[in-house]
Amino acid sequence: MGQGEGMDGSCEGNLLEVRDLSLTLGGNNILRDINMDVGHGRIHALIGPNGAGKTTLIRAIMGGMPHKGTVRFHFCDNGRIGYVPQLLEFDHSVPMTVFDFLFLMLRRTPLFLSRRKPMRDEILKILSATRCEQLIDRMVGYLSGGEFRRVLLAQALVPKPELLLLDEPASNVDEVGARQFERMLIDLKEQQGHSILMVSHDMQTILRIADHVTAINRTVTYDGSPDNLSLSDLFVNVQPEVSPMVAQ
Amino acid sequence: MDFIYDIISGWAKAGYMPSIFEHTFMIRGLLAAIIIGPLLGAMGTVVITKKLSFFTQTIGNAAMSGVAIGLLFGEPVDGTYAGLYGFCLIVALLMTFVKNRSRLSNDTIIGVVLAQVLGIGIIMMIVVTSQFNIHQVEGILFGSLITLNDTDLITLAVASVLVGILFAYNFNRVMLGGFNPILAKARGLSPVALEYIFVTLMTIVVVASLKLIGALLVLVLVVVPAAAAQNVVSNLRQFVWVSVVFSSVSTALGLLLSGLVPVPSGAVIVLVSSVLFYGSLLLKPLLSKGGIGQGQV
Repeated sequence: MGQGEGMDGSCEGNLLEVRDLSLTLGGNNILRDINMDVGHGRIHALIGPNGAGKTTLIRAIMGGMPHKGTVRFHFCDNGRIGYVPQLLEFDHSVPMTVFDFLFLMLRRTPLFLSRRKPMRDEILKILSATRCEQLIDRMVGYLSGGEFRRVLLAQALVPKPELLLLDEPASNVDEVGARQFERMLIDLKEQQGHSILMVSHDMQTILRIADHVTAINRTVTYDGSPDNLSLSDLFVNVQPEVSPMVAQ
Repeated sequence: MDFIYDIISGWAKAGYMPSIFEHTFMIRGLLAAIIIGPLLGAMGTVVITKKLSFFTQTIGNAAMSGVAIGLLFGEPVDGTYAGLYGFCLIVALLMTFVKNRSRLSNDTIIGVVLAQVLGIGIIMMIVVTSQFNIHQVEGILFGSLITLNDTDLITLAVASVLVGILFAYNFNRVMLGGFNPILAKARGLSPVALEYIFVTLMTIVVVASLKLIGALLVLVLVVVPAAAAQNVVSNLRQFVWVSVVFSSVSTALGLLLSGLVPVPSGAVIVLVSSVLFYGSLLLKPLLSKGGIGQGQV
């Protein structure tokens, strides 16, 4: 039985616990004493103004940034984290289709030596999870922001993750697209049992779909139900501190 | 090797091939072109995706120092393998190390090293040989079929097979890491380790092909066929295969033409690949109306 597994085999309690996480970059304290818990099977929103350290926190949770404090996962299955980044910088002229993009991530057989047919059905099925099968032969560089977000979310769902980390998943997406995206996230939580930690700027989205909110501005300024969140919680002015070494 | 030379020479004498292939050095060149062309074409697709074009040029330039170091340590003039491979690998790994440890862009790091290694190489060559032997320098810079010997050809074949296998094995991961390192990392891969693997493989192939193509021109054969392919394809699979075809045609046809006119093989190979590049630009609008650009493979 895994750390977060209940007696009946279902997962309960916290999937992720962050304790006293602090992070310094170039002498500036980017994050200070962050404490937060993400529960199993919940949509947890991470909110804060620009430069609050949301993306840095996500990267620290993924193990990509050196930090102080602890990040503890209580997985009860494969322990996989699916990740959808905020900005994906890439060369738009590379002739890579959505099929190629997913193939590179899912298979070891060299793409140029493999047969497309058998893999095509599998990739269509993966894309159907985010309702974007029609994009399979489109070049990644020519997709709209919303289309690419769907493809990124589809790749994050395979193999099935225990935790989905979404960094502003609905940025650059129009209102209709954003609503569709919200519906998708609710379906993923309710039908697939996914746990989701999502960075978002959109208060309306958070009020509609999040179970729990943590607001940060370099440190935690609010942690609780979205219903009790006020705008003032988001703009608590926390000045960036300079580490003692730099000050000297 | 003589057995193979006799067969091909026999075909040339019988009129099945141009008469220039009656000469052993041209047969060696042809075999080298057949071996290295497809591999450079395939690897060029990753070089373009990872924006490593001028990295290749830097490795070519470092070859001059490599030859001088080889001579300094007593290697024969026509076989400075340890100096060549050793120094070029050190330069390649050092550049990758600096790139991953500093905030400087790839472009800046390559700009700093690119001309330095050539300048250092020329000075070292003069110091080591106590004279400026223009033919020795010319052979490395522009390629020289006359100096290509059996050992070079065997080295080229062995290196190409090994690099080809390792390149194919790592292709998906290297391409993903080149396309976007953050996503590769999220998939449990190490983009930095993959970069070290790729630059090592690339360096081995570039050094192995120097006598055929030349240090100043090798960049073109790595980049131009892949760039030409990029103009006419619509997916990665086509990208690799069309680049392989363009590169193979460039090397084989370039070599044949260099046998007919007395100019370095590398320069003619470059010209042929350039014709293919501009041809692909002309083809691009036609293909996008329903040809390869819209289809599936």
